Amino acid sequence: MKKFVNDPNNFVAEMLEGVYLANKDKLKYVPEFNLIYRADRPVNDKVSVVQGSGSGHEPAHIMAVGRGMLDGASPGAVFAAPPVDYCYECIKTLQSDAGVLVLVNNYQGDRMNWDMAVEMATAEGITVKQFIIDDDVAVQDSSYTIGRRGVAGNFFVIKAAAAAAERGASLDELLAICDKVNSQVRTMGVALTSCIPPVKGSQLFDIGDDEIEVGVGIHGEPGRRRDKIRPADAILDEMFDAVSQDLPFKSGDRVALMVNGLGGTPISELYVLYRRAAQRCEQLGLAVVRNYVGEYCTSLEMAGASLTLLRLDSQLEDLLAAPAEIPIRVF
Amino acid sequence: MTDITIGDVERAVRCTTATILRNQQYFSDLDGVAGDGDFGASLASGFRVVDQEFDTFDRSSIGSLLLKISMIITRNVGGCSGPIWGTGFMRAAMLTKEKTSISLAELEQMLTAAIEGIQQRGGAQLGDKTLLDALIPIRDRLKEQVANGTDRATALKEAQAIAENAIEATKDTQARRGRQQFVGERSIGSADPGIVAIATILGDLCDEFGVSRSAVPA
Repeated sequence: MKKFVNDPNNFVAEMLEGVYLANKDKLKYVPEFNLIYRADRPVNDKVSVVQGSGSGHEPAHIMAVGRGMLDGASPGAVFAAPPVDYCYECIKTLQSDAGVLVLVNNYQGDRMNWDMAVEMATAEGITVKQFIIDDDVAVQDSSYTIGRRGVAGNFFVIKAAAAAAERGASLDELLAICDKVNSQVRTMGVALTSCIPPVKGSQLFDIGDDEIEVGVGIHGEPGRRRDKIRPADAILDEMFDAVSQDLPFKSGDRVALMVNGLGGTPISELYVLYRRAAQRCEQLGLAVVRNYVGEYCTSLEMAGASLTLLRLDSQLEDLLAAPAEIPIRVF
Repeated sequence: MTDITIGDVERAVRCTTATILRNQQYFSDLDGVAGDGDFGASLASGFRVVDQEFDTFDRSSIGSLLLKISMIITRNVGGCSGPIWGTGFMRAAMLTKEKTSISLAELEQMLTAAIEGIQQRGGAQLGDKTLLDALIPIRDRLKEQVANGTDRATALKEAQAIAENAIEATKDTQARRGRQQFVGERSIGSADPGIVAIATILGDLCDEFGVSRSAVPA
């Protein structure tokens, strides 16, 4: 294993500390619970939007804490759900009169821990509701889920809900927005390589030099099938068909189009994929109103990409266009 | 004396912890018959932390103690057993936040809350061959006993007998949830490790509190 790590067991803690040190003016950090939250939150007239999943998917979700995005996040260890006390402290710290919205990707571990934390917080008199995200069309049930998995489409749920929260939407209004986004967003990923969780120190799964995993999960879970590497356009076409036919998206739809890197694929390759995705949208008659090319939800250094389509309406277009600022910056 | 004090709860937790640590291999062996063979080890990994950290727990109320145990079990017991057992303790804790002693009627309410939580978390019902097949009849009997007036020794003795009977009563049924659900028909003929664990814990609690155990069915 060649990685920038010290003691692998401290990998997540040291990453979080780094994020905090780079953003001390905007973020607060509670090491005991892996909790990072906005220094200017909570405020009582705004719903706090929080998320916590396993680490290893950065920038999701710990680097998505900032103005117009998450108000707080409390990740677990790499690819492991946050323990219930992290979830509980996250809710408790971000509690406001307007309530707390917990966004959870559909994995059994994440769900059970957040379920319990929400129950405990509710018993304390805290107003808190949770929303489950399940945008992955690849498989119906999987290693860690009953039902579909939550993957890169969670970005759009966060973005829309958080933008509305920033404008003062109520908890029930936010749940309706989450439901709208989640019901209109579809994703599928393809892996070219495995990844190496720091503590494991070796490849998460075996994949041949000439093989790809079609429909891979963001923890390396199996997808639809193992295939041979093909030209980029052919791979993109399979992803596009799976995603676009699932809803299905149809001519005249206005969409947001995301090509998300899984961690180890250069942005140049992502644009090779985007080129084909844009062509396919045009052929199908989809108007790409917003596009997203880069890393939004990764799987450590896994080479690969996922394709996400979100059907928009005027409300979602408006919310996606709202300003936001998070710790990972380009400028 | 019918009330259960926080001191009694501490003893019961200590005793349960010892039972689970002592029977780690036994529970895993049972699980290996029709499950994946890690139930005992998994449960023990949570209660080992309870054992090690017990002296540091907030024991100002029954609820604070049970909530701490809930968090530790949820966090340290692998797979779905952690949240299932953790939820049971959590629901019981919620009803006893400020309490330093409880009546048998309150114990029945705690058990009811725990059962509802376990059902909600894991989706199991009576007859699915899970620990609920012990807990629900125990709760039903306790409810009757509370209505008719009883003492805690009798309640414990009868609970232990019900759990023992549940092992036999469910042996020849097929698991639909819990440790054995994934093996389907192969679960028929073997005891559910969750039910055995409840019966074993109650048996040891009888010894701890000086209550004579019911005769174990042959």
